[in-house]
Amino acid sequence: MTESIQLHLLAPGKRGVIAHIGGTGALRRRFVEMGIVKGETILSERSAPLGDPVEYLIKGYHLALRKEEAAHIQVIPEGEAHA
Amino acid sequence: MPETVIALAGNPNAGKTTIFNALTGLHQHTGNWPGKTVEKKEGEVETRDGIFHLVDLPGAYSLSAYSPEEVIARAYILEERPRAVINVLDASNLERNLYLTAQLLELETPVVLALNMMDDLQKNGASINTAELSRLLGGIPVLTTTANKGKGIQELAQKARRAAEQPAPAFQLDYGSKVEREIAKLIAAFDEIQFDAGKYPRRWLAIKLLEGDEEILSRVKEMPAGENLLARAERGAAHLRDMLGEDVDLITADRRYGFINGVTRQTLRRPQMDRITLTDRVDDVVTHKWFGLPIFFLVMYVMFRLVIDVSAPFLDWTDSVINGLFAHSAHALLDLIATPAWLHSLLVDGIVSGVGGVLVFVPGLLVLYFFLALLEDSGYMSRAAFVMDRFMRVVGLHGKSFIPMILGFGCAVPAVYATRTIPSLRDRILTALLVPLMSCSARLPVYVVFGIAFFGAQAGTVIWAMYALGILIAMLSGMVFTRTLLKPDVSSAFVLELPPYRTPAFKSVLIHMWENAQEFIRKAGTTILAASVIMWLLLNLPWGVSSQRDSYFGKLSGALAPVFAPLGFGNWEAGGALVGGFMAKEIVVSSLSQIYVGGAPQSAQQPNLPSELKQTAQGFVNAALRSGRILISILPGVDVTDAQGAAEDTALSAALRQRYTPLSAAAFLVFVLLYVPCVATLGALRQEFGLSWALTSAIYQTAVAWLAALVVFQGGRLLGFS
Repeated sequence: MTESIQLHLLAPGKRGVIAHIGGTGALRRRFVEMGIVKGETILSERSAPLGDPVEYLIKGYHLALRKEEAAHIQVIPEGEAHA
Repeated sequence: MPETVIALAGNPNAGKTTIFNALTGLHQHTGNWPGKTVEKKEGEVETRDGIFHLVDLPGAYSLSAYSPEEVIARAYILEERPRAVINVLDASNLERNLYLTAQLLELETPVVLALNMMDDLQKNGASINTAELSRLLGGIPVLTTTANKGKGIQELAQKARRAAEQPAPAFQLDYGSKVEREIAKLIAAFDEIQFDAGKYPRRWLAIKLLEGDEEILSRVKEMPAGENLLARAERGAAHLRDMLGEDVDLITADRRYGFINGVTRQTLRRPQMDRITLTDRVDDVVTHKWFGLPIFFLVMYVMFRLVIDVSAPFLDWTDSVINGLFAHSAHALLDLIATPAWLHSLLVDGIVSGVGGVLVFVPGLLVLYFFLALLEDSGYMSRAAFVMDRFMRVVGLHGKSFIPMILGFGCAVPAVYATRTIPSLRDRILTALLVPLMSCSARLPVYVVFGIAFFGAQAGTVIWAMYALGILIAMLSGMVFTRTLLKPDVSSAFVLELPPYRTPAFKSVLIHMWENAQEFIRKAGTTILAASVIMWLLLNLPWGVSSQRDSYFGKLSGALAPVFAPLGFGNWEAGGALVGGFMAKEIVVSSLSQIYVGGAPQSAQQPNLPSELKQTAQGFVNAALRSGRILISILPGVDVTDAQGAAEDTALSAALRQRYTPLSAAAFLVFVLLYVPCVATLGALRQEFGLSWALTSAIYQTAVAWLAALVVFQGGRLLGFS
């Protein structure tokens, strides 16, 4: 059993597999529409110069999320999933 | 024969606007969706098989009523039932773009897919099997386009026109046996309880009811037998939640993506290796930890100089044509047909100058729209929002709010229009309410005149303090609004796509400029024109008044004076200047100077037409030259513009010193900084957000201005200043 972490804690350059999507109904639906669905791999690319928001790569496109919103998403960091 | 109506739908950044412009050219018009502040564009498209009417739906990632844009797009397809929908997809981002397609197909409407930006995809060494894609999506037409180069547009128009004659293709997404069973049960219930789904496709309605879509639930509740149906739907949804341990809307979204995943796997061939794209390389620099912010500020600086400075010579020129050539011609013409004096004055002083007041904004707006379209279409706008978001959040705003704020230092009118690039309506309104607090260039002459008259060597500091105070009040106001009238909603969540960088389509950019300028003249123009006619009436009634003081304008100003007494400037002259400043802030200075020093004598000599035409042409050439020089001087270290003449006005300074103390002058300046936005700004606010927000802005700012000036004057007195 591997531990999932909140998405905003995923280090830049690391990949993770989406395990759970939280947040209120509308926000969660928004995530899903943008392709943030369970089982999908997401790559943390870089954070903005002031540290927030963070740019992610998902389904082949770039998406920026504030840390506050990314915190609703749980991911299993890649590499650890096979450990 | 009724017109064939076809709708255009697609994700933001998929190139929908470019396709719309390529299809309709200049046969288009812009308006608002009824009761909404979202732009609606329509146009006519000619094909060999006949004409159709194209309606551009707002850009949306899905049809689940998340944002006002999605609500509009969905309602339009459901209520108006267009004969077909052209769905524009970003081919290089196929998977996410197909989510909307799946939802469109579920609405049982004929869909034509336009896989746009095909060149981007091919550059990356990928390809899409369009025949297979068409087959998997129920046989709908699938075309490839590269809209910014005009490729595939003709064919798209023709396929869409033909699709409009065909029935909707049979398409059903399989939601898995458990969900399907509940869908079937609900559809069976329609007949059982004699529920008439009306315009809604039955299967689609059943799915939405199970998903618990709030908007649809409330609609169905109003329909006969609706309550009964809702109860059954709720039972079905609860049952699914129990069995699958997840909300139904998440399950259905998951299945949709599952289906799309299968489709893309069978149709999209991608090279094995992830290659580093140009976008990645540009982003490494543009959003770099150290370079990101300086680059952003450089872009803002260039844009500000372009919108405000480079358009200024043309602005002066427009002004001189209206008040010179145009006014004089009108003058001569009216003399010729012997109109009564009052009508003459109304036409020349009221309407012509009102038209001038509208047109002077056009050059700056053209430059602004050009620049905004460039930033947006190239993809940099999203990066700007990404870089600035942390900073703007302090005030409860979105990263994209920064650009309007900066523009506000030039002129609030283009700044209000610049809010259109902000995705959420709530963020747009808040930004637009704060924009007028950025001290615009029209307020500067007021600071300069008073600064020189009262603060001598400290004038620079006083002027600087005015700008700082405006920013401070804007920050505080942002915090107040965020906690009261404009609480953040889920649409303000920062979920922002950073699209690949692309070359903007210049034809589309030019059409965009032209359309928006036209709309400004039509919409905000009427407000400005009406205000200038009212102003004329106030100044000239009762008919035949000899001095400003005796006119209704003078009486109104006098009546306002007691209101300003606690602020230290309770005289009719100040009242008059402030009422005039409502038309345009720079009028504060000219009306004070007119009252205290006397207006500049009107030239009695009638200029002749040929010489004036010549001057007008020369003026245009000069404006172009000046604007060119300013453009060059934007380069750091180059200064070829003339030094600004010091605004010394000794007669006015002396007169002001008799009426004001340094303290009451400071209070007056604070009031001028903060009070009601000028009528052009209010016109823009009304056009964008409706009358009630325009009034909110007017009342709010006047109240804040009054309080701030009161604090300065009374507080200053307590501290022993005079």
